[in-house]
Amino acid sequence: MLNLRELRVSERLNYSGSFLIMRDAAQRKIQDLLEQKKSLTFDLSGQIVFYAGPTKPLNDKVGIGPTTSERMDRYLRMLFELGVAATVGKGKRSELARNLCQFYKRVYFVAPSGAAAALSEHVKKIELIAFEDLGPEAVYRIDVVDFPLIVAIDSEGNDLFSLKSFSI
Amino acid sequence: MRILVVDCKKIKEKLVEKLLRANISVDDFVKKQIEEYTGPFSDVLKRNLIVAQQTGLPLCQDTGMVEFFVFVGYNVVFTQPLEDILNEAVRQVYMRNPFRYSVVKDPIFERKNTFDNTPAVVHTFITDRENVQIRFLVKGGGSENLTRLFMLNPSVRTDEILDVIVGHIKEHGAKGCPPLNVGIGIGGSSDKALVLSKLALTRQRNEENSDPRYAELEKVIVERLNELKIGFQGLFSSITAYAVHIEHAPTHIANLPVAISVDCYLCRKGVVDVEPERIESL
Repeated sequence: MLNLRELRVSERLNYSGSFLIMRDAAQRKIQDLLEQKKSLTFDLSGQIVFYAGPTKPLNDKVGIGPTTSERMDRYLRMLFELGVAATVGKGKRSELARNLCQFYKRVYFVAPSGAAAALSEHVKKIELIAFEDLGPEAVYRIDVVDFPLIVAIDSEGNDLFSLKSFSI
Repeated sequence: MRILVVDCKKIKEKLVEKLLRANISVDDFVKKQIEEYTGPFSDVLKRNLIVAQQTGLPLCQDTGMVEFFVFVGYNVVFTQPLEDILNEAVRQVYMRNPFRYSVVKDPIFERKNTFDNTPAVVHTFITDRENVQIRFLVKGGGSENLTRLFMLNPSVRTDEILDVIVGHIKEHGAKGCPPLNVGIGIGGSSDKALVLSKLALTRQRNEENSDPRYAELEKVIVERLNELKIGFQGLFSSITAYAVHIEHAPTHIANLPVAISVDCYLCRKGVVDVEPERIESL
């Protein structure tokens, strides 16, 4: 397991483990359920949430890649309150997201965008977890091996996209 | 009067091939750019081209909503309703390949997936050509979210127009998977400017505006954008844009609409020309 607090902004790593995949529609649904005081059928505690929507499978392989994280900033506090350990997506996030990462000591990674075929080689298993009716926007768990990531916001709130210069 | 009959089966056949190709391969220019890129995740982007070609998995999981721009001769008739054929082509490609269904039927309430990636967006233009040309964009949601319309003061200086365009890309360009192909529509009405900006995206990369003043603007904008060095993956290590194209049109004395559309680094698009099957006289 990753020691998230030791990771520093702009660090590149290859992650092996699992991601919980969800994006706009699933997070809105989670928020609705929580507002209605209903319980979730799955546990987000300790999970790394990957903002993505997979392709249909080809021989058990799925194409996958990050979507724009900034759209998910409105749900980030909710995810951290549910125990989510880190998030993965693409692009710069809002100041709110940066502050939340710092406050909750959580990490935001960027993954390569527009590289679904290459990333399919790192996906070992995909499993539907919830909200099947949402199709590609449902919640899935994927097991990955050596999945390429870069630390974009570290647990101290340092933001890759605000650095004047850096090298990866 | 001569009536040109265009066979819709032929349209579908050609589109199916090109839509598939647009999702799994890039043109030579883009390929060279990716091969020469050495910054963050360059290993993954290079590998992506190979795996997509070998497996048929798409280059990007966002296989987009398809937009068609159809240029039809005024005396052309189709053997079937045109939109039906375009949607049939999309349905076939997206249902038979390991792509993603990225279209929802109702935009606000159910947002229920249509599970065949239709409907496509279709714009038709009646022209004096003697055939049919269909241009298409495979438009990902991330780059589409960067579309903007600015209704500028008609008396602004050219510099101010450039500042608006460059300012928008500076603020948001990193979210559209750069280097970008940038399309700009200037003039017309608000809606016309937006369509023009999309048409600008369908132009060939080296096809500059036929008016040398606009061609110069295209050049200046691409230079200014590339000074921003937004780079592949938005990680500041290379150029911001491959190309900028402008389409312009007459406008109202009180208006100066400026619309910006962008395409991601994969530039997934295509052109299909279909000649008439037979000519009949009326």
